[in-house]
Amino acid sequence: MSSRSLIQRSALLFALLVLSAWLFYIGKAHTLLIDTNAVTLDGREFKSAEAITVSVDGKTPEDMGRAERILVSVSGQQHRIVIEVVSGGARKVEKRFAVPTFMDSALVSIPAILGDAAPEHWVTKFTAADREDTPAEQMQHEGDAALPTPPDAKSLPSKP
Amino acid sequence: MISKLRLFLIENAVVILFVLLIAFAIPVSGLPASFLLQEILTRLGRNTFLVIALLLPIMAGMGLNFGMVLGAMAGQIGLIFITDWGVVGLPGLLLAMIISLPISVFLGWLCGSIMNLAKGREMVTGFILAFFMNGLYMMVVLYAMGSIIPVFNPEMLLSRGYGIRNVVGLDGVRQCLDNLIPLKIAGLNIPVFSFLIIAAVSWFIVWFRKTKLGQDMRAAGQDRAVSGAAGIPVEQTRIVAIIISTVLAGIGQIIFLQNLGTINTTSSHEQIGMFSIAALLIGGASVTKASIPNVIVGVILFHLLFLVSPMAGKNLIGSGMLGEYFRQFVSYGVIALALVLYEWKRAAQEHASRATLRGGAPADGKEAAA
Repeated sequence: MSSRSLIQRSALLFALLVLSAWLFYIGKAHTLLIDTNAVTLDGREFKSAEAITVSVDGKTPEDMGRAERILVSVSGQQHRIVIEVVSGGARKVEKRFAVPTFMDSALVSIPAILGDAAPEHWVTKFTAADREDTPAEQMQHEGDAALPTPPDAKSLPSKP
Repeated sequence: MISKLRLFLIENAVVILFVLLIAFAIPVSGLPASFLLQEILTRLGRNTFLVIALLLPIMAGMGLNFGMVLGAMAGQIGLIFITDWGVVGLPGLLLAMIISLPISVFLGWLCGSIMNLAKGREMVTGFILAFFMNGLYMMVVLYAMGSIIPVFNPEMLLSRGYGIRNVVGLDGVRQCLDNLIPLKIAGLNIPVFSFLIIAAVSWFIVWFRKTKLGQDMRAAGQDRAVSGAAGIPVEQTRIVAIIISTVLAGIGQIIFLQNLGTINTTSSHEQIGMFSIAALLIGGASVTKASIPNVIVGVILFHLLFLVSPMAGKNLIGSGMLGEYFRQFVSYGVIALALVLYEWKRAAQEHASRATLRGGAPADGKEAAA
């Protein structure tokens, strides 16, 4: 293979790699949880309006009240949110925010956006809380713990 | 005049047979024209690309490329990865195509190299190679993924912790090509963008035939010995034909599956070769000659028969399963019929040329076949 051919093929490979990275960047899906729960940031409490409509990236606006969460699926990092305050003094807020590429689920705080909090507080990583056992499951675990362990339990043959 | 008519009937025997079958089955099925038209439009957008992938190996004299299944496997691996990584929409599909590209090229090179060792028996070699590679594909998808190859989405894994589930939903990319340019005419949804892609690849095939490499392929397809003597690297040209076919099959499988919206991990690729080859042959192609019109006519006739046969079977004998059996019968039967017709024509041609060399006039029937 001539050096010219090698350079051409390497350039093509590099271009494909760059294109792949860019496609991943713009196509990566995120689940946004639009949240209207009150938040306290640096000792200051932010509350959402009584009734708002929220639209992300030009999607159909959704009605929301206080202390609610809705789920929106988006792709890419940069997003545009339009919040229309319906109750009280009607106003429309349009902001842009970014979701880190590897953050699958993000919590978007509406009170923080409406209250002009610093942009780094608008989007936070969402981590699902550990599920608590139901009373029946707790009783089951307690029952399991109370059972005597056979002395040779570890030497029992495993099922095929 | 009679021999011309006979020649026409022999050349188009498969197409005529299927037109007659469909003409009988459509009224029996009782399906409305609007339904059939919508389904045919959808299936044209879904399947045509895969059938086009078969054209270049035929041009290079390698017959019907049953090895296209290898490309379909590569396309599926690309789709599995983008689903795992959560890349959606058009970028997701393009990324799946890029991922499938090196796998398709490698598998195409492997397939082409093996076919060069089995010249004259490319079809059966490709068929068996597809079975062999299916085993390797299963090993990668059902064992290596999740154990050796990292899979980040636990919902895609089997309950044992490794291996991809039998069905993978493609919700993120479902019909994103078909709906990219929405167009509705008289209540019919037209997959405009899919048709544009098909038009582009058809143009590529037509353009490619005129290039130096395309001419080399045609020459190698007509006579390997003469082409080799003329300085054409026959084996390399044949490998390139199979590589392009495999790459197109990979992209075609991605287009096919984005329309369906799910991957059947272990079996989506298995029937693709058989159905695509059957569609091409129904369109009037042969083992040595195929064109874009053969592809379009074949996809329409084959899928029209697919659509109407279950209902026609139900209305005729009270069992919709007849249509399902009929699909299998048609797919394998038409390939067998086309191969028999090809061999018969070839034998007739050889007989006629031998008779000409001996100085005698060829018999009427043989002349017609020739």
